[in-house]
Amino acid sequence: MSEKPITGEKRAFMTGNEVVAWAALAAGADIMYGYPITPQNEIMHYWTRQIPKYGRKFLQTEDELSAGFTTVGGVLAGLRAFTATAGPGNTLMQEPMSMAEMMRLPTVTIVQQRGGPSTATVIYSQQEVTLTTMGGNGEGLRIVYSPSNHQELFDYTIKAFNTAWKYRFPTFVLGDGYQAKMRESVTLYDPAERGIEMVPTEKYVGKPGTPGVDRDPGHYRNTYNTEEELFEVLQKHFADYEKMAPEVVEYAQEAVEDADLVIVAHGVVFRGVRDAVKELRAEGLKVGYFRPITLRPFPAEQLKAVANKAKKLLIAESAQGQLARLIKDAIYGASAEIVPMFRPGVGITTEQIVAKVKEAL
Amino acid sequence: MGKLKPQKDWRWFTISKRIVEAYVGEYASGKSEVAVNRALELARAGRKVNLVDLDIVEPCYTLRPIKKELEETGMTVLAWETRDTVGLGEAGNIIKPECRWALYREGDVILDIGYGVEGAKTLNLLEGVEETPELQVLAVINAKRPMTSTVEEILDYIKELGPVHGLINNTHLGDETTPDIVQEGARVVSEVSNILGIPVVATTADQKVTKQIGPQDCMGNTVRPLVRYMPRTFW
Repeated sequence: MSEKPITGEKRAFMTGNEVVAWAALAAGADIMYGYPITPQNEIMHYWTRQIPKYGRKFLQTEDELSAGFTTVGGVLAGLRAFTATAGPGNTLMQEPMSMAEMMRLPTVTIVQQRGGPSTATVIYSQQEVTLTTMGGNGEGLRIVYSPSNHQELFDYTIKAFNTAWKYRFPTFVLGDGYQAKMRESVTLYDPAERGIEMVPTEKYVGKPGTPGVDRDPGHYRNTYNTEEELFEVLQKHFADYEKMAPEVVEYAQEAVEDADLVIVAHGVVFRGVRDAVKELRAEGLKVGYFRPITLRPFPAEQLKAVANKAKKLLIAESAQGQLARLIKDAIYGASAEIVPMFRPGVGITTEQIVAKVKEAL
Repeated sequence: MGKLKPQKDWRWFTISKRIVEAYVGEYASGKSEVAVNRALELARAGRKVNLVDLDIVEPCYTLRPIKKELEETGMTVLAWETRDTVGLGEAGNIIKPECRWALYREGDVILDIGYGVEGAKTLNLLEGVEETPELQVLAVINAKRPMTSTVEEILDYIKELGPVHGLINNTHLGDETTPDIVQEGARVVSEVSNILGIPVVATTADQKVTKQIGPQDCMGNTVRPLVRYMPRTFW
């Protein structure tokens, strides 16, 4: 009944949504709460097809507000709980995730971005960057990973559970519809066999003993009477977040040392960027890339160093400047000129990037 | 196994009579690749061929980028054009009427049935299933997918599909496919075939790999080379 879903390393061929379901199984997730929305549906489909074998659970709720709040509830009960959503579902998800931010709850949310605003297209965009990084009515006290291929979807979904439970901030894996639907090879593994220890979960409520007598009372709040009290609580959260940031921040960069132009991109667009840099370097052009893997916290210092050396930063994204907003905030005062390549809701190919770089150089 | 009667005299290479085949299988099993190659093979043999895109959930993503090219071979491709589906959005896609009636068309009919295991139910939406005794439902199996990687898993999976007349071993890992991977799949799929009494119609793989394997796989199944078109499609 509760055998391990994966033993040994297994090379497999599947869609990104399936990868997420397998990663959640491998990570020992106890329960998924969800409401259907394209393009993340198959996460639910494959999770529910698998779980009877492994004794895990699923609850389909009436909407994403409820899916988010039940995920919060699952976490309060000490379950390794997650949800998945996209587009307008992600909009609704922000209210429960704000609660998770205020109460410091380690929820895990997979977002497969689709076109926006509103229902828009069901397939692809990178237009949920602002929403996923800063979408709460608060201060963005959350962690957001942006994977770019199936292996990373697997790795970072597992990692998201650990980051969330270690630092107790709501954690997101920000994929997109192309990653969700694409077929690609991936190595599935049991985290324990790779030496990855899953951070143990812990009940917030329903602990044994009498609060105040046998143990400290659990006082998890998302509401405060006075401005001063909220201010004080937030200062502690900010301090925790700042302390955590250097341990959590991830990025990749290549060929930036002598680069005249550095392309900045995240997620699936990074794939085209990586190939473009290879191609442009082969032609002798001084071009490199910088790729933030965590969008929250953002690798600000690291990118700023690059932006003080390179003459230009070309920002390529399938949105109208949502990544650019994060970048500008991070590198304020740096000397590089920003060249936008914004294609909201549509893909960006290697050829398009190469052409744009040649135009900008 | 349901209402569709298997044809005892059916052969992969029968060219004298009408060929009607429905390709079903998991995501990433290779349904579309196998279906497109089969349609091209029949078209090249001078047959009148209708290739039908029956992914009713996300239509036109698979065949759309190569539709024109396929039509240039003389076959008829029944699939939504992008411009025809504009305006539908998530409110629901509709089955293209000519796809619904595809079984009544003259000539061979190759049905590419999308959307994973649920997709097999799409056959219920077609007109004329009862009147098409030549209809063969072929399950495309990729044993490099976790839910169809062992004999037990494939048996469970095929039970969910409904009537199946033949199996196709299309075990692959995309660009990383090797002859060993294909042969490993051949062993698993052949065992399933023995248990269920459903024939392995063929082992299919990329041309480069099939060249190394030869005309038959290690279980004696016919090996069919594939030209890979899907890398040029959306997925």
